[in-house]
Amino acid sequence: MAKSSENYILDTSALISLESINILERVLSLFSIITTNSAIKELEEFAKHDDKYGRIAKNILKHKSEFTIESCEIKESIKYVESTDNELYNLSLKKQLPLVTDETKLVHHTRHKIEVYFSPVFLILLLKSGHLSKEKALELLEELRNIRNWRNNIIYLITKNQLEKL
Amino acid sequence: METEQFNIRMPKELVQDLDIISKLLKVNKSEWVKTKLAEEVHEEKNKLLMELSTLYAKGMISKEKIEKLVGKDIADEMESIKVIAEKSVKHGLEYGKKLRKLHS
Repeated sequence: MAKSSENYILDTSALISLESINILERVLSLFSIITTNSAIKELEEFAKHDDKYGRIAKNILKHKSEFTIESCEIKESIKYVESTDNELYNLSLKKQLPLVTDETKLVHHTRHKIEVYFSPVFLILLLKSGHLSKEKALELLEELRNIRNWRNNIIYLITKNQLEKL
Repeated sequence: METEQFNIRMPKELVQDLDIISKLLKVNKSEWVKTKLAEEVHEEKNKLLMELSTLYAKGMISKEKIEKLVGKDIADEMESIKVIAEKSVKHGLEYGKKLRKLHS
């Protein structure tokens, strides 16, 4: 199946979210995904641990050859975020491509300057393009949900509300 | 870590109970109280913000009201998350439709 022309830059949090609900492979087959060397290094750090995130990181790294991996000079720095996130932000600015992240602090400080989405964007993309059923999309959204995080709660409720209407 | 003095008066019996705890656990009374209080505060704050974020996501409370209740920083952050969650949905719908046509 031919990939769509849409490119997305993904950070570690988005990669982890997508792999945690087993749709990363599907996303990689349909879209051109870019990430940074520093995001890969973060995943390699996670992968050293024998826990849930370690296992998820190892699975993501198995698909490394399917991403485009780039580095980007940090010309514009956001005060409240880490250097990995600053690099992703600068890459998005440089390439004028959307950044997909579940880091709400990064979203909060960059949303007026770049196109930015939360990872459930791919649930809707896959559903609307016929690659996922509505029931499966809702099921996966429940799996993504973090019931102890009020920030994630807003993302979950808004996405769920829309999925239920489809 | 920056700290601030916070004085409270407690019932004598409670202070005596704290003495028992600190002796049995071999911990400093104040440190134990601070730890327990921090855990409770964190839990309660998260629970309340979960309720507030639910009301906000459902459109049942305005950003202005949230700002009056919990301050500008949290209100601004909630607004950012809501706006981008809605934009994510919109992008998914628009582009997903195009993608379907591409593959059909």
